[in-house]
Formats: sequence, structure tokens, C-alpha cells
Amino acid sequence: MTPGRDSTPRIFELTNMTSGIDALRAEYGSSIATLAGALAAGDEQLFLSELDLLVHRRERTLFSELRKLTGDLQSALDRFSVDSRLVDLAEKEVPDARARLDHVLKMTDEAAHKTMDLVEQCGPLAERTARSADDISGKWTRFRARQLQVEEFRSMVTQLDVFLVASRTDMDRVRNNLTEVLMAQGYQDLSGQIIRGVMKLVSELETALVDLVRLSRGGPQAAPVAAKDTMSRGFGPAVPGVDNGPSVSGQSDVDSLLAGLGM
Amino acid sequence: MSKDMKFLVVDDFSTMRRIIKNLLNDLGYANVQEADDGQTALPILQSGGIDFLVTDWNMPGMPGLDLLKAVRSDPKLAKLPVLMLTAEAKREQIIEAAQAGVNGYVIKPFTAVTLKEKIDKILEQRAA
Repeated sequence: MTPGRDSTPRIFELTNMTSGIDALRAEYGSSIATLAGALAAGDEQLFLSELDLLVHRRERTLFSELRKLTGDLQSALDRFSVDSRLVDLAEKEVPDARARLDHVLKMTDEAAHKTMDLVEQCGPLAERTARSADDISGKWTRFRARQLQVEEFRSMVTQLDVFLVASRTDMDRVRNNLTEVLMAQGYQDLSGQIIRGVMKLVSELETALVDLVRLSRGGPQAAPVAAKDTMSRGFGPAVPGVDNGPSVSGQSDVDSLLAGLGM
Repeated sequence: MSKDMKFLVVDDFSTMRRIIKNLLNDLGYANVQEADDGQTALPILQSGGIDFLVTDWNMPGMPGLDLLKAVRSDPKLAKLPVLMLTAEAKREQIIEAAQAGVNGYVIKPFTAVTLKEKIDKILEQRAA
């Protein structure tokens, strides 16, 4: 190592030390002189009051250092909280969100098919009723015009008997299918709740990323990360493969749980 | 209670309110009022005239559980029949609803038959 190479830091250290001593001398020199003078002159009151001033000045410096340390600690904790929330979002909640949206796709698909199946079942039933009514109506018109033969009348009565029974059965089935179509629309509520949950997650992710950027720039203190849903607010529909908490599997499970509670 | 009794259906999804209203109409209950969360439901309940409350759990503003607690803590409404109709399926939630005084709990997706059974059961218990 050449002497020229290590000479620069030493000069720098010396300069630093000199400027440190100078600063201390400027800050405390006069106090020390006053203290020494008071001691030499035997002025107890002056000595004690000057000593108090000195201690007070030193404490102020210590407190300001402590405040700075506390600030640094707070910002490190904020960064840690944003970081750990981001890890949680990236590792667990984003894949969960994918599973939730997949479940929504499945639900909408099932509801659309169920509705169309029911509508397709209703079509032929309505058509059969209309065709039979039309057939009987022709004979009925001739009967009212007294143009129907006895044999034809007998056949019409038999046809009418069959029609009344069949139309009753068919219309019952149409009515049931209409109720089923109505119930199938419940997918909108369930999928809507899941989509809302995913939207909330996206906005939380956005907030966490913005906070992280702000912290890395040393900007103002980050906003606290939004708290997760409490039980009182509700968790939304259970999604297969996502919600691992103890959930009921259906209405019979709910009924036995409530029965166990004496309801 | 007769078929003239007045229902209040509380759900933030208008499609679900419509489904329940239609089912109640099919069951012969033509008098059905709607609200989209607990906050809008509570003044309707407090103004009187509602005989049966059907409520969702997960709603913005005031959730169904808070509405149930508010109903039970109001001396005028404390005995109102309340049916929770919700997708909330955690066991601890059902237990909490039961402890808060719910009369019936139907889980979504549900069937028309289940809704009828639960309403009938609650009304039978009231009559007994």
C-alpha cells in the first residue's frame, strides 16, 4: 500500500475530529468557563444554575436523537407491515381470487344452462296444451252450431277429459319450472358477493403497492393497510378449495347444528 | 298469523329480493316490503307494521347480524320473527346468529321448499 493511498482518510478523520471538537467547544465552552470561574470564585449558586443549564441542553440533544430513532423505528415497522401484507396478498389471496373468479364462471355457466333447460322443457308442454285446445275448440264450435254427430260428440267428451287432466299436469310442470327459473337467478347474488370480495382485494393490493412505493421513496408515513373483514360483517359465499374455516356443507348441516343448540 | 301478515325482505342484491318476494307471493303472502341493508330496514321496522323479517347477512352499511341485534334490543321489536337467509356458512357464524336470537337460518343457494318449511316452522312456534 502506498503512503499516498491511506493518507486521504486519515486527513478526513482528523478534519472531522477537529470540526467535532470545535462544535463542542462552541456549544459548551462558555458554560465550562462559567462553571470553572464560579468554582474558583466559590459562587455556589452560579455554579449550580450553570450546571442545570448544561444538563438541560444535553438532555434536549438526547431527546431529539431519541425522537429521530423512534421515527426510524416507526417507518421500519410500517414498511414491515406493508411488506408482509403484500407477501400475504401475493402468496395466498391472489391465487384465492383466481379460484373465486373461476367459481363465479362455473356458477354463471350452471345457472344459464339450468335456465335454458327449464325453458326448453316448458316449450313442448305449452305447445301440446295449445294444440289440444285448438283441436277441441274446432269441435266445440261445430257442437255449438249443432253440426256435431253423436259419435263425434262422444269422442269430443273423451278428448276433453284427457285434455283437462293433461293440461293440469303440464301446467303444474310449467309452474314448477318457472319457480326453478326464478331460483336459478340467485346466482347473481352469490357471484356478485364473490366479485365484490375480489374487487376489494384488488383495491387493497393497489393500496399496499402505492404504500410500498411511497415508503421506498422515503415519503410521508404510509396509510395503514385496511383491516380484514370481521365476522360481524360476513365472509361471503363459501368457495370450494378456498375457505378452509369450519363451514356447513348445506341446509341439513345448518339444521342439525341449530338443533344441537336447542333450536 | 294470517296470509295478510307483512314481510320485510332485506338484501343488498335486488335480484335476490325479487326472488324472495316472488316466492312469498307464491306462498300466498302478498304484502312484502323491501330494504337493501340494515340501515334502511331499521327505520321501517321501528315505524311498525312488519310481522316477519327475512334478512341477508353480508350487506354494506349495517350487516344482517347487527340488524338482528338491533331488533332484539328494541323492546317494540324484540319478539319479531327473524329468518336469516344468507350465503354465510361458517359454523361460528350460525352459532352467533342463534345466540343473537335468530328464529331460522337458511343457507344460499336455497330451495322454495326450504323457505316455506322454515317460515311455517317459525309461525307454528309463534302460535304455540
